[in-house]
Amino acid sequence: MSWLTRLKNALNPRRLDDDLADEIRDHLERRAAELQGRGLSPSEAHRRAALVFGNVAGFREESRELRLWAALEGTFQDTRYAWRGLLRNPVFAATAVLSLSLAIGANTAIYSIVNAVMLRPLPVPQPDKLFTLTTPEADQPGVPVSGESDTFSYPLYEQLREAAGDSARIALFDAPNRVEAQLAGAGAPREELIEQFVSPDGFDLLGVTPALGRLFSGAEDRFPSPRAVVVLSDEYWRRRFAADPAILGQSLTLSGRTYSILGVARAGFSGPEPGKFVDLWLPITLTDPAIFTNPEFRAFRLLGRLAPGATRAQIVSRLQPAFHHHQEARIGQGAAMPPAMQRQLRQMTILAHSGANGTSVFRRTFSRPLWILLGVALCILLIACANVASLLLARSTARSGEMALRVSLGAGCARLLRQSLTESMLIALMAGMCGWVLALVAAPALVEIVSNKTDPVRLDLALDMRVLFFCVAICASSAVFFGLLPAWQAAGARPMFALRHISGQAGRLRLGRLFVGIQVAFAFCLVTGGAGFLFSLRNLAAVDTGFDPKGVTVLTMTNDLGPRERDRQLALMQQMQIHAAALPNVQGAATAWMAIFSGARRAQRVVLAGRQPSEREEVFYRVSPGYFAALRTPLLDGRDFTLRDNDDEPVPTIVNRAFARRYFGRESALGREFQRDDGVRHRIVGIAANSHYGDLRNGPEPIAHMPMKPTRSFTLYLRSTLDAGSVARMVEREAAALGSGMRIRDVTTLETLVGRTILKEKLLAGIGGAFACLGLIQAAIGMFGLLNYSVARRTKEIGIRAALGARRVPLYAVIVKDLIAMIAGGLTVGLAGSLALMRFARSLLFGIQPVDPLVIGTATAVFICAALIAGGLPARRAAAIDPVVALRHE
Amino acid sequence: MASSNSAQTALDMLVLTILSRRGPSHGYGIANAIQEISEEALRVDEGSLYPALHRMEEAGWIAAEWMVTENKRRARIYRINRAGTKQLKAETERWNSFSTGVARVLRHA
Repeated sequence: MSWLTRLKNALNPRRLDDDLADEIRDHLERRAAELQGRGLSPSEAHRRAALVFGNVAGFREESRELRLWAALEGTFQDTRYAWRGLLRNPVFAATAVLSLSLAIGANTAIYSIVNAVMLRPLPVPQPDKLFTLTTPEADQPGVPVSGESDTFSYPLYEQLREAAGDSARIALFDAPNRVEAQLAGAGAPREELIEQFVSPDGFDLLGVTPALGRLFSGAEDRFPSPRAVVVLSDEYWRRRFAADPAILGQSLTLSGRTYSILGVARAGFSGPEPGKFVDLWLPITLTDPAIFTNPEFRAFRLLGRLAPGATRAQIVSRLQPAFHHHQEARIGQGAAMPPAMQRQLRQMTILAHSGANGTSVFRRTFSRPLWILLGVALCILLIACANVASLLLARSTARSGEMALRVSLGAGCARLLRQSLTESMLIALMAGMCGWVLALVAAPALVEIVSNKTDPVRLDLALDMRVLFFCVAICASSAVFFGLLPAWQAAGARPMFALRHISGQAGRLRLGRLFVGIQVAFAFCLVTGGAGFLFSLRNLAAVDTGFDPKGVTVLTMTNDLGPRERDRQLALMQQMQIHAAALPNVQGAATAWMAIFSGARRAQRVVLAGRQPSEREEVFYRVSPGYFAALRTPLLDGRDFTLRDNDDEPVPTIVNRAFARRYFGRESALGREFQRDDGVRHRIVGIAANSHYGDLRNGPEPIAHMPMKPTRSFTLYLRSTLDAGSVARMVEREAAALGSGMRIRDVTTLETLVGRTILKEKLLAGIGGAFACLGLIQAAIGMFGLLNYSVARRTKEIGIRAALGARRVPLYAVIVKDLIAMIAGGLTVGLAGSLALMRFARSLLFGIQPVDPLVIGTATAVFICAALIAGGLPARRAAAIDPVVALRHE
Repeated sequence: MASSNSAQTALDMLVLTILSRRGPSHGYGIANAIQEISEEALRVDEGSLYPALHRMEEAGWIAAEWMVTENKRRARIYRINRAGTKQLKAETERWNSFSTGVARVLRHA
C-alpha cells in the first residue's frame, strides 16, 4: 500500500473504518447466503456465519492498525491536543510565540543578509572555479595595516594574465561607479546609473550569456580606437525600457560621450560584486588610455577562472615570479624609494582566494559586523528559548496532577514526551512563521540603514532555500531546546507524589534556576556588547574633526563645457562660488575637489630639499578661497588663497599643523618650499589648524591644500542656516542663470558625509542597543517569574518567620539572597562571554579598552537595576504576607 | 515478517498460491478455496484471513480494489502482483530446501 493511501487513511480514519466494515459484512452475507442455500433458516445462517468468522471487532481492529499509520494518527491527535492546550491558555501562547518570533525574525533577517553578502555563490556556471587575486596591503607608517588589497594596475593585470598561461584566464573589473546617463533624443531625462568597466573577455570568463544582442568580444580589444559600445543589465533593461528589444543600437550619452547599446546580459546577473547592481558595462579599452601604462593607477579587481584540473596553489606559483618582476620594476622607477618601502614591495606575495562569491567591498567592510550581529541575534534566540522553557515548565508543574493521573492510567513515558514536544514544535512553528514575515520586512530595512544615494547598496534578499533551511533549523532546534527539559520533567512525574501534590517542585526550581542562569549570562553579554558599541559611537561622535560640519550643505556641481574650454570652466566655477556666497542666509561658500569624507583621496610623497622622499604619502586637496572660513577651520598663520592663485610653480600651498609639525618640526613652516614626488614645487603660504580628512578613527592627518584647477565636476560647500533642500533649490536657480549647462548632480550635508564613515558603528550601536534591551527585558521577565514562584512556594516558611516576629528587612533579605543565588552563576559566565565578545569586536570599538571598567560597570549597573525591579515585586509580596493567612493556607 | 511464525507463513503461502493459480478473488472466495485445499488452516477462525490479507497488501505482495462482482454485489477483489509472485517463489524454495533437510535428518537419525 502506498504511503499516500496510508496518509489518506490517517487523515480520514472514518472512511477506513467503513471500508473494513463493508468488507467483513460482504463476507458474512455471502457465507449466510450459502448456508441458507443449504437449507438453514436465515437467522440460523447468520448466526453460523458469524460463528465461523470469529471475533469481528478484533479482526477489524487488527486490520485497521495495519492499514493506517498509527503513529501518524497519534501525531495528529497530539497536534489537536496541543492546539487546544494553547487555546486554553492564550496569554501563555502569545507570550511564548511573541518572544520566539522576535528572536527568529532577527536571526532570519540577519542571516539572509549574511547569505546574500557572504554565502551565496555568483549566479554563473561553476562558480567554484573562480578565484580573486589579492596582495597584502602595503602599510603606511602611522596608519594601521588593514589586511589585503584587491586592487591592481592595468600593466600588472596584463603581466599576470600572460603569466597564468593556459592554467587560468583572468578578467579585470573596475569598481562600479555612479555616472550620469542620457538616452539619445530630444528631452530625454538625465539618470544616475551604476557603470562598470570590464575587460572584454569578462562576460565570457564568467559564463554570462546575452539575453539580447551580443556581449563584448575581441572587437572591443582593438586599440587605439575600440567601438564605443555598452552592455545593459537585464534588470535595468526591464526597469527602464520594459524589456523593449528595439533598444539595440540606440545611443546613450555617459558623461558627455556617446555609446551605442550592444546587448543585454542574461537575467539574474548584476555584476560580480554582491551589494552592487550594475546597470551597464563598458569595455575597459574605452577608458583613459593613460591607465594602460601607469603602474601606480591601481583600481582594478581581478577575477579568474581556473582551467580544468588547475588549482589555486598552482596559479599562485605561476603568478608569483611575474608579480615579483613587476615589483622590482616599480622599485627601479622614478624617484628613489625609501628602503623600508622597497623591502616591503620585494617581500609582497600574491594570494588567490575563492571567487565563488565574487568580489565585494561591502563584504570586506561589513563581514565582521554582520557576524557579530548574527551572534547577538543567536543570543537573543537562546534567551527567548530559556524564557519559553521556563513558561512551559511553570505550566507543566501546574499540570503535574494531570500528568501523574495519566502516568498512573498507563500512559507511556515516550508518549507523554512526544506530546509535550509536539506542543513545543507547534509553538516554534507559529513563531517561525511570524518570524519569517518579520524577517521579510526587517532585512531590507537593515540594508537601507547602510545604503545611501551616492554609494547605494542593494542586495538580492530573495529568501532562498538556504535561508528557509536556516529558519526551519533554528525553529526546530529551539523547540527541542526549550521543550525537551520541561517535557522530560513532566513525563518523569511520579504518580504517587504528584497526586499528593508534592512532586516536581524542587526539580522545577532547579531547572528554573538553570534557565534563568542561561538568560542572565546571555543577556549580560548583550548588555555589555550594547554598552560597548553605544559608548564607542559616543566617543566617535565626540571626536573633534577640526571643522564644524553643522549647517554645511555639500553640492556636487557639473556642467556641459568641453575639456578644452579651461578658462571658461574656471570662470564659471568662480562665478558659481561668488553667486552662491551672495545668497541670502548663506554665511560662506567655497569650492573644492571631491568632498572630504567621501572616500576620495589623492596622496603623494613629500620631498624636502636634500632629503629622501617621505615614507608616507600625504593628502593633497584642492580648495578655493574661503574654504577654511566656510568650514570654520581656523587659519593660524599666513594667508588664505585668492581667486588668482593657480598651479604655477611654486604652487602656493596651505598646510595644516600636522603637516608642518611632521616636515618642519618646531621651525616655522611659513614660506618654506617642498616638492611632490612627481617633482612639482610647492611654497607654503599659510598654516591651518588640524582637521580630519577621511575618517574619525585615526587622528588628524597631515594635509596640503592647493588652489583649485578648472574641472567639470566640483564640490560646492555652503554654510547656511537653511536646510539642505532649500539651499539646493536656491543654488539650482543660480546655476541655471549662469548657463553652460551648470547643474547640481548631488546634494548632501557634511554631517551626512561624516556620519557615513561611522555607519558600521551606528549599525552595531543601534541594533546592538535594541537587542540588549530586548534581552534584558526577557531576562527580567524570567527572573520575575522564577522569584514569584519561589515566594509562592515559601509562603508557609515566610509566614512562620513573620509569625515568630521577623521584621520586614530580613524578609526582603531572604528574597534578595534567592535572587543573588539565582543570577550569580549567570553573571560570572556572562562576564567571561562579554570579555571574549569585546576582544572579537575590538576593531569595531573606538576608545574602549578590552576590559573597560566604564562599559562593564555600566552594564552591571543596568543589569542590577533590572534584577532589582524584577525581584522587587515578589519581595514586597513576601514581606506583605500575613502570617495567619499563610498558615491557614495549608 | 515472512518468518515471524510458521502458521502465518503457511497462511501467506496458501493465499499467494491460490491467487496465483486461480486468479483474482475476494476474501470470501479465498476462504472457500483454502477450505477446499486444507480443512486445517482456517479451522480456528475464518475472520483471521482478513488481517493476513491486509498485512500482505501492506507488504506490497497483493493489491486490492473494490469491484462489482457477478451478482452485482460490491466486493474487495485481491490480486497477486510481481512482488508477491517473487515472495511465493522464494518461500517455496526455502520450504523445499528445509523439508529436504528435515527428511535427510530423519533418514539418518
